[in-house]
Amino acid sequence: MIVTLIVIAIALLLSLIFVYLAITEKDLLKAVVFSAGQSICYAILLHAMATPDIVMTYLAVSVGLYSALIVFVISKTERYEV
Amino acid sequence: MSKRILVLLIITILSLLTSLLITLLLGVKAPTSIRDLGKYYVANTIQDTASPEAVTAIVWDYRGLDTIYETTVLYMAIVGGLAISTISRKVQLKTRIGLTGITRTATRIIVLLIATIAFAITLHGHLTPGGGFPGGSAMAITAMLIVPVYTLQSLLERGVTSTRLVAARGLALTAIGLVAILPVLRGLEAVTNQKFYPSHIAGMLISGSLWFYNFFEFLAVASGFAAVALYLSIPEELYREELRGGG
Repeated sequence: MIVTLIVIAIALLLSLIFVYLAITEKDLLKAVVFSAGQSICYAILLHAMATPDIVMTYLAVSVGLYSALIVFVISKTERYEV
Repeated sequence: MSKRILVLLIITILSLLTSLLITLLLGVKAPTSIRDLGKYYVANTIQDTASPEAVTAIVWDYRGLDTIYETTVLYMAIVGGLAISTISRKVQLKTRIGLTGITRTATRIIVLLIATIAFAITLHGHLTPGGGFPGGSAMAITAMLIVPVYTLQSLLERGVTSTRLVAARGLALTAIGLVAILPVLRGLEAVTNQKFYPSHIAGMLISGSLWFYNFFEFLAVASGFAAVALYLSIPEELYREELRGGG
């Protein structure tokens, strides 16, 4: 139980750091990578909370599909935020 | 030290302190017992739906109508995106050469692996964690890999267009609707599972309608997200030409 709680705490803290980095990053491609890192932290968190069904959907959508779609969208605009 | 790193450090330390304070002062503990609703699902899922996987049973049987409407909402979103990003004339792109041979070969292997896993997630959705939506979205990642590596033009030349993929999604959605409505013809409720559909086919457990829902949802989600990938990868210059009326 205590190990699960520690894993949850570390994953939450890491996700907070990734979210902050993603929001303040000027290079949009790097921001996508930080956002994917946050998603991985959440996937670990969900797995620690014993929800394998959500983990599968979450990983495929938020790390794979979402990041790829945002990269496609960035290719339509500029890479750097002014 | 830059201002960004300093703010990050302060946020991290503050959140650590707050969570420690809340844990020590209020003594928050995770619940250890299962609620009555949870107990009902654990005890009765296997009799009610012939599926050992309670989550799939809830998603497609107990709360089946909700899921059908969610699928419809996603369909409307994808059709809306297609309506905005349609080009009136045929898309003809200049770039035909994709990435190098090494990348192409690696992508071929990875796409095969992802497709295998996506099918496994879907077809075992009524037995193990997973189902139509996770399987379909895993499958759609193959489309997102193929578009940059093999170029959009090579896909379009093979007749894979976003309009056709959306049409495929529409067909899969119709199939989901038919699976839901067929029991009504026998005078049963819509989205009936065990009273209408068999639990086994040729000795294999398919948990009635759950397997069909998972499979058609897989087709719908995979083709829908692949369509999004295709219409988002049309370069912006083509839209500008379209706006100017030239080309």
